[in-house]
This record gives sequence, structure tokens and C-alpha cells, in this order.
Amino acid sequence: MFTISLYIASALSLAGILFQIFKLQKTGSAGLKLHTVKSNLAPAFFNTLFQTKLFKASRVRWCIHFLVFSGFIFLLFFHALDELVSNRIFSYYQPTVDPYQFLRNFAGFLVGTGCLGFLIKKFHIRKNNPRLKSGYNNLFSIFLTLLVILSGFMLETSKIISEPVFMEMVEDYAGIDEDSGLDELKIYWEKHYNVVFDQLSYTMENAVEEGEIINEDYCLDCHSKISSAFVSHLLSRSLKKSGSLLNQYRADRIFYHVHYLLCFLMLISLPFSRFFHILLIPFASMNQKADIEDHQKLKVEFNPVTLGACTDCRFCSDVCSVYPNYAVTNNIRVLPHHKIEAFKNIITGKHLHKDEMIRLKNANEACTQCNNCTDICPSNIDLQSLWVKLSDLLCKPASGKTDLPSDFQLTREHDISYSRTSFKNCAQCTICTNVCPVVLYSSKDENDMTPQQVMNLLRLGRKQMAAATLMVNNCLTCYSCQENCPSEIRVTDIITELREASAKAGQS
Amino acid sequence: MKLAYFPGCKIDFHLKAYDFSFKSVMEKLSVQLVELPFNCCGYPARDNDFETSLFSSVRNFAIAGKHGLDIITPCKCCYGQLQYVSWQWKSVDKHHPGLKQKFNNLLAKENLFWNGNINIRHLLSFLYHDIGINDLKKRIKQTLPEKKVVAQYGCHALRPFTVTGFDNPHAPHIFEDLINITGLRSVEWTKSTECCGNPILKNNKKLSLKILDSKLDAAIDAGADYICTACTHCQMQYNDMSFEKRMEQHTLVSTPFTRILDRVL
Repeated sequence: MFTISLYIASALSLAGILFQIFKLQKTGSAGLKLHTVKSNLAPAFFNTLFQTKLFKASRVRWCIHFLVFSGFIFLLFFHALDELVSNRIFSYYQPTVDPYQFLRNFAGFLVGTGCLGFLIKKFHIRKNNPRLKSGYNNLFSIFLTLLVILSGFMLETSKIISEPVFMEMVEDYAGIDEDSGLDELKIYWEKHYNVVFDQLSYTMENAVEEGEIINEDYCLDCHSKISSAFVSHLLSRSLKKSGSLLNQYRADRIFYHVHYLLCFLMLISLPFSRFFHILLIPFASMNQKADIEDHQKLKVEFNPVTLGACTDCRFCSDVCSVYPNYAVTNNIRVLPHHKIEAFKNIITGKHLHKDEMIRLKNANEACTQCNNCTDICPSNIDLQSLWVKLSDLLCKPASGKTDLPSDFQLTREHDISYSRTSFKNCAQCTICTNVCPVVLYSSKDENDMTPQQVMNLLRLGRKQMAAATLMVNNCLTCYSCQENCPSEIRVTDIITELREASAKAGQS
Repeated sequence: MKLAYFPGCKIDFHLKAYDFSFKSVMEKLSVQLVELPFNCCGYPARDNDFETSLFSSVRNFAIAGKHGLDIITPCKCCYGQLQYVSWQWKSVDKHHPGLKQKFNNLLAKENLFWNGNINIRHLLSFLYHDIGINDLKKRIKQTLPEKKVVAQYGCHALRPFTVTGFDNPHAPHIFEDLINITGLRSVEWTKSTECCGNPILKNNKKLSLKILDSKLDAAIDAGADYICTACTHCQMQYNDMSFEKRMEQHTLVSTPFTRILDRVL
């Protein structure tokens, strides 16, 4: 029964992993190149085992994470897989003997504390950092881990206090009965091992001493002092009163099933929850990162499978250079972790509303390629290449005339070009045109007007026409025209403003 | 001396050599650079959203102001934008009523406040005015062989003069003076104050590279061995792969000024 369900859960988990990888790799190659693996092997190893990048990003978060990680790894190999690992490495391995009994409790304690740390940190950040305000995405995996640990402790506790388990053990290993000292042993075990017995008489003299001798004969080889299992020890003490009730319903069997069920659930949910990062961070760490030469050659390749390594930690948004874009425009997609989410939706074929796509495009174009997000990413995802990929997906920036909506209005009162006084002094002297590099170097089909003609269109009240000229789109903002204008007209500022106004009209 | 280092977005990934040499020069001049969590200067947002571009700079000022430091930047686009906003801010109430209040509210969310005072320095003006060109000359340990160098000024520091106050916008000289003290010889060329083409690289690559091509022509005509820049964007433009071969043919090398200065200090 147990073996079958383990195989089923493993098969489901494996199928889920393959399914997720297949879903992600649709937009690019999922492969690893051998030479990048070789060169990245050492940093990938350290990042996987010691989370070096997380350590650089935040010491507090690293401490919390390492509590969970170290405890979990210990439990996985020396407790869950003890038949494969512990039994073979240690010659006298018994789960109820120190140090294994103590270490198991200690590891469980570490994981539990770490999970609580995750929760506290999560709500603390939600409260204090508006930039990182997040949903409850991670809660499932945190709570599931907590439940696994809790059920494990409860299983151990219910076994400790269980009279039926005690009787089974006596039958199997001691083979004694009331005549040969069973009662003495019971008294000793009730006192020192926290077993809860339904009926026990305390009338016997020297019972504890005799029990101790029997215990040494039959039990001590496999049972260290119960106080070393410090969490379960405390729990069993506190459950003493309700112990007989728990024993009556065989709580140890119930918790046994609950514990295994939760572990299998964890295994199955591995590819569908945050647990996925455990597998993909080593993969992402070994993957190639596009360098400056790749960017210059426009040969940036992003491996979409590495996105599965994202843990939604939001360090990328914390260091994002264009954060003020979000603060002013409230376009949440400016922040990298929201762009990752949108990208995942796009490649998995989820339909995004048209307005949402426009907002995403605007947000992605705001990226200045400062590489801060890639630098900090604890999962080692090459985020900068992702943004390049995303802008490819969302279509290239338009070169040439901007298509303006028909109801396009340029009547913002704070604009320089709103008041006629800012351009009415233009004498059409052509100095701006003569110094303009765009006019000098562009061919006929590349440019249509000159700065002076743009000013003239403004004087004629044809603001919309002026904003749609190629001249406005091509302007280098080198300020040559403005610096040389004898009438001190802010030519460049006005052209930039027209460009901004038409870009804004295109955005909405 | 202690200054807040405003690196600009591009330098870290696209031009590490400039970053390293800049820091090395500042260390040799015993200037302490403080790295603060600055954001983008706001220059790229100017085409899309005016308020965003203003707020980006204002937030940077608030961060620098919190530490009571002046800003130094190696990038001329950043320098131009920061100067532009600090100049614009003087008349913000007149032209953009209500904007000051809005920005203050946004800053307050992050426990920031900017009182309106900020000093911004570019690498070159800092070397020329604050360190002093004569002092700098005395610190130079070795001089380089006399090779011909043309100076690329960079538009946004030079113009508009009323905003940036960097140097004479029509006949600037501080860059040439700084090059000359290293032993290299700056030569006149026709394009020293003209744009490198980088601002429209994304929107109109063809025209952008045409402008760069013409600059290379002028540098070759002047017989230059080096094109010297002091701006991240200019240097990135000269690093464009499509002109690599051509520059190799004429043994023309483009380099940020700090790399030269780092060698002689």
C-alpha cells in the first residue's frame, strides 16, 4: 500500500515536472550548453547548496531560508530516505537512538522556525514596503511544509505515549509478561519515556529500580532517553491527560497516514508550486547569461525554463532602476516581478486584455537595461535577457510616423507649446535647420521636415501635424537648435514635448 | 572629499571599463565615492512621460540629500537630465502647479524629502574646477607619448548652457585642456560638439549609425589616434560593433577619458 502510493506520487511528480518544462520551453530552447555548464559549475554548486546570491541580497532572508533548507535536506536524506542513506552509512542506525533521535527533532525544529520566519517576514514586508506589496502566492508551500513538520512531530509524540505500540514492541522484542516484570517495565517507561498507560498500580516497591534493570536488558540498546527528542518530549508531556483517549483511537496510526499523505502531496505539488525552484535553481545557475557582446550582436537568447526557478522574492523590483515610473504612472507592470508573471501568462497561452498588453509594452520599454535585476536575482535567472525577449514578443518600437488617434488633443496647460509666446518670436531664420544633424544626415525618406518648419506648423496652429512629423520622431535632443536660436526659442524642449505628448496619446 | 556616485543605468553592464577606471581615478585623487540606491536619472522617460522623468531625478536628489551629499556622475546624459530637473524645479510652481505637492507625497511614502538644494557635478567639470586643473597637473606621475586625440564633448552637458553651465557651448575647452596635461595632444576637429547619435539608436538605427559614421570620418580627417569620451552613452555608441573593422583599419581607438587619466596618475 505504502510502496504503491509512493510510486504513484513519484510518477505524478515526474509527469508534472515534464509537463511544466514542456509548457515553459515553447518560446525558446530549454537546452544547456556544455561549455557554459563547465564554466558555471562551481558558482552553481555553491548557489544551490549555500544560496550565495541570496546571502548577498539579504542576510535576514538568507538566515530564514537556510534554517528551512538545512533542516529539510537533513530530514529528506537521513529521515525520509533512511533506508537508502542512513542505514547504509551508519552501522548501528536506529531512528530512536541518539544522535539520530535528537538530530531529527532539531532539524524539524529548524524547518518549523524557518517557516514561521517566512510568514513573519512576509507580513512584515507587506506592511512596510509598498513596492513589494504582494499576494499570498507562497503561502501554500509554506503552510504545507509547516504541516508536514507538525504531523511528523505529532506522529512521534503519539507513538511515544501509545500503550498499544508499547505492547507490540514488548511482544516482538522482550517477550515478558506480568510474572516476569512487565508491570515494572511499564512503570519505568511511564516515568522515563512518557508512555501513557490506562491502568497501572503504583503499589509495588522498588518497581522503578527493577524496571530499570529490565529496560537495560531489553530496550536500552534501541531507545535513548526521550528527552533528546526535545520537541516531541514536550508535546508528549503536555498530552499526558488526553493520552489514553488518543491511544484508544490509535492516534499514531492516524498521524502516520496524515504524515505520509502530506509528504506525497508535497512531492506531487513540487512542479506546481514554489517548490519547483528547488529543482530549477541549479539549472538556472548553470545556464548561460547573455553578456555585453551578445547584446551588441542582438543575439540574446533566453532560456524560458529558468523562469520556473523564480520564487517571487521580489528583490528584482526592490532594485529596479525605473521604479519611479511605477510610482508616477501606477503601471504595476514596470516592476520586474509583475513582468515575469505577465511573461509566464503570455508563453503559456493565457489571453491578456489589449489594454493590459499596451501597459506591459509601455512598462517593458521603460527598462534601461541596467542589469540590476539579473545581478541580484537569488535564483540566477538572466532577467535582462528576458526583457529583450519580451520586447521581441510584444513587437518592436515603431520607427517612422506615430499613428495618432483621431481625437488626439494637445491642450495640456503646463506645456511649453501651449502658450503662443514660446514660439511666436520665430523669424524662420533657418539657423536651427542649418545646425541640425538629423537634417544633415538623413535621406529624403528618412526625414520630412526641419525644426524650423515644425515651429512654423505650431505658429499656424497645426500642433497635431507637427507632433506627427518624422522630424519630431528623429530628434536627437542634442539641443544644437535651441542653443543657436537667436530668438531664444526652446526648440528642443518643444520637440521633446511634442514627442512625449504623442507617445502618451499612443499609450492610452 | 565625499561625493554620492551616480553611475547611471548603462555603465554597470555595458561599460564596466569606464566604471572601474572612474573609481580608480577618484581613489587616486582621494575622493570618497558613496554608492546610494539611486534609480534611473529619468532621461529615457522624457520621451514617454514628462512627470516620470521629473520624479526620477527628484527622487535621486532626495536620496542624495538624505545623506547630505553632492552628486557626481560620469555620464553626460545623466548630468544633463539632473541639471535640467534641478533648473526646472526652480519654476515648478509657476509651470506645473500642484506637482511639488504630488512629488512630496510620493517621496513621503518612502520617508524621503527633498528641499530643492542639490549640487551636480560631471566628471570633467569636477576635475577642472573642483580638483583644479593645475593641482591635477601636479599629481601626474608620468606623461604619455604625444599622440593625437580628438575630444567628444557630449551634447547634454554642453547644451543648453543656461541650464547646465558646463562650458562655452560654442567653443568649449575644458576637455582639451584636461587631455593636454596627460601628455597626449588634443587636435581640432569639426565634430567635437556634435551629437554621437546614440539617443535615436533604438528608434532609428540607420540614421544613428550614419551620424556616427560622419564623426569617424571627421576624426580620421583630423589624423586622430584616439577619440576620447567622457560619457557612457557616447562611448557605447563608439563601441558599436558595425564600425569595429573600420576603426581598426585606421588604428583609431575610442576610449573613456578616465582610462587615460588612470594610467598617468
